[in-house]
Amino acid sequence: MATAVWLPPLLFILFWWIFSAGSSFDLPIGVVDLDHTSLSRTLTRQCDASSVLAIDRQFATVAEGQRALTGGEIYGLLVIPANLANDTVKGLAPQPTVFYNGQFILIGKQINGAMQQVVGTLSAQVGGLQALARGTAPPAVVGQVAPVRGQITALFNRHTNYAEFLVSGGLPAIWQILIVCLTVLALAAEKRHGGLEQWAGRQPVRALLVKLAPYTLLLWLQGLLFLVGMYGWLGWPMHGSWTVLILAQLLTVLACQAMGSLFFLLGRDEVRGLSLAAAYAAPGFAFMCVTFPATDMGWPALVWRSLLPVTHYIEIQIHQANYGGSSLDLWPSFAALLLFAVPASVAVSLLRRFSREVAA
Amino acid sequence: MSWWQVCRAEFKAIFAEHAIVLTVLGGVFFYSFLYPLPYLKQVPREQSVLVVNHDGGALSRQLERMVEATPQVRISGHAQTEAEARHRFLEDGGIAGLLVIPAGFERDIRLGRSPVLAYAGDASYFLVYGTVIEGLATAAGTLGAEVKVARLLAEGQALPLAARRHTAFSVNMRPVFNTTMGYVHYVIPAVFILILHQTMLIGLGLLGGGQGEKDHNGVRGYWQTVPAGVLLTARLAVFGAIYLVLTMYYTGWSFAHYGISRLASSAELLAVVVPFLLAVGSLGVVIGQLIPRRELATLLVLLSSLPLVFSAGFVWPVASLPRPIFWAAQLAPSTPGIMACLKLNQMGAEFSQIRGLWLQLWLQAAVYGGLAWWLLRRRLVVK
Repeated sequence: MATAVWLPPLLFILFWWIFSAGSSFDLPIGVVDLDHTSLSRTLTRQCDASSVLAIDRQFATVAEGQRALTGGEIYGLLVIPANLANDTVKGLAPQPTVFYNGQFILIGKQINGAMQQVVGTLSAQVGGLQALARGTAPPAVVGQVAPVRGQITALFNRHTNYAEFLVSGGLPAIWQILIVCLTVLALAAEKRHGGLEQWAGRQPVRALLVKLAPYTLLLWLQGLLFLVGMYGWLGWPMHGSWTVLILAQLLTVLACQAMGSLFFLLGRDEVRGLSLAAAYAAPGFAFMCVTFPATDMGWPALVWRSLLPVTHYIEIQIHQANYGGSSLDLWPSFAALLLFAVPASVAVSLLRRFSREVAA
Repeated sequence: MSWWQVCRAEFKAIFAEHAIVLTVLGGVFFYSFLYPLPYLKQVPREQSVLVVNHDGGALSRQLERMVEATPQVRISGHAQTEAEARHRFLEDGGIAGLLVIPAGFERDIRLGRSPVLAYAGDASYFLVYGTVIEGLATAAGTLGAEVKVARLLAEGQALPLAARRHTAFSVNMRPVFNTTMGYVHYVIPAVFILILHQTMLIGLGLLGGGQGEKDHNGVRGYWQTVPAGVLLTARLAVFGAIYLVLTMYYTGWSFAHYGISRLASSAELLAVVVPFLLAVGSLGVVIGQLIPRRELATLLVLLSSLPLVFSAGFVWPVASLPRPIFWAAQLAPSTPGIMACLKLNQMGAEFSQIRGLWLQLWLQAAVYGGLAWWLLRRRLVVK
């Protein structure tokens, strides 16, 4: 029980700490400048000025740069062709190439976005100057350079901060693992101390409830703790109802406790119970869809996903924190959490049968 | 007992314990199918987008057709106003983005006034957001380029020149190693190494912890009589052999099954896997000696999984990790193990480029091996 008090907050803080840098990265990028003009140097400088990229090294040849990319020393390689400035003046639209590490997708996407932006801005500046030189009147230059402009809005997460995605999904995933495991360990403690026979005795259901209720309260409070940490202390936007969220957390704790009890009572063995808990809860994060969307999952993945309480919880959390919509839209998620009454009743009937066998 | 007899006794002890068999064989096999499950489609496609078209002209309809033609997004409906779009966004669910085409869009383009399209994506789901914005921006960029080309043609330029002149210069973005940016290729090669790492630690922890419990209860066994060095080498050999087969199953059959690239030669891969398994094995023996009850091995390993994944360097850039976390992660064999395997097998690095990681694995094997030997010997002396 003492472990249950300090371990979860410690893990929550550790997990947040990993991502505490937010999204200003300075990812190391290499440059092969075959042009050596003021334009190519401007391009290099503007890459370095981006908050995401840092020009780490210059290479004389593409082969040297590729080797550094393959060895993981740099995440991207900007190759500026020999006549960038010349071809730009002639209107031949030359293309610098950026090779970036697609194996590390999250990092690669950052490089892609930042590079497009840097090159887009610089190209528009150069194009604007050319249009002016051709004699286009200044107000019309913008229309010449960019006939259509786009204004991008990130709905519901103004910062589009990777840390927020990963932390707000990762904390509930760790929380689910903790609840399931601590439930197994709490029941195992009864087996170790007085023996299950004596504990379950005549009133098995009452014994189970008395045993687990303090954990319910504690783990529920710890759930509240990470919510307060994210939406209070860190000040991430939260537009919905705290009541709805807190209620969802209570149901999630109960659902996970039902699964934990079931895992232990299947064999009344703490080692096997924890192995099952591990197999069940460890890949939870992958199924929560904070990274890969559920709309692109096949049915076997969706079935497994629906068996994890935390996937229903995260829908409610995202819905409340980001959209702040009406809680009526959430009834399927709440209903799914209530369905964990089924494993709970299986666990109770296993315990009842065991206590009858003991009595007989 | 001879060394071979100890090996045989260890082998029997492993297979006599259901929890170890369940974790080691069951876990590795089960996860080889469960873990790739969410990512089988590799990249998100055809995200639903609502369109608010205030213009309604031919050019705006052409833009809509271009949006529909991108693989990233599809138009799932139209709304009359932004307010209605917002309402449907919250009520209907399943909508990932909005495209607002302003009134006078076509006129402004013809007049060279550069109208502003508004794209919005649901940023609650980061991959969805990126996909929607990419799709909408591609469509708008294509339309913009066509308009420019048409304008240059009208000015009397030849088509080939006009087709190239629409921009001063552009950038050619080329992902390498995982050229399709597929999620299976991204997650699985790294996570599978971690699964081997974690299940091996649990298996060894259960075995060592279980024997500790038996010592405590006064049960007699072979592990109490053989010298620490013999017990350690036998245990590493038996677990190493089992895990060599399991590693071959993952990096061979599983990778081939999911179409994951295997660029390293068998010899290079083996050169990394051997110190990796020795380091993990020794760490597992250490954990087995330190835990008071065997089930704590499972708990410890399980709770370390997510922090280990995210500090291994393939998701979050290592340079952005807080320094204490970075150094703590270097203690786990999974950190150099995952990086060495990714670089050799997925990125095609030469062996000389991962020598640092390889040495780190050997160093871990030596330090944890020494520690394991000392702990085993200390227990024998206490007996």
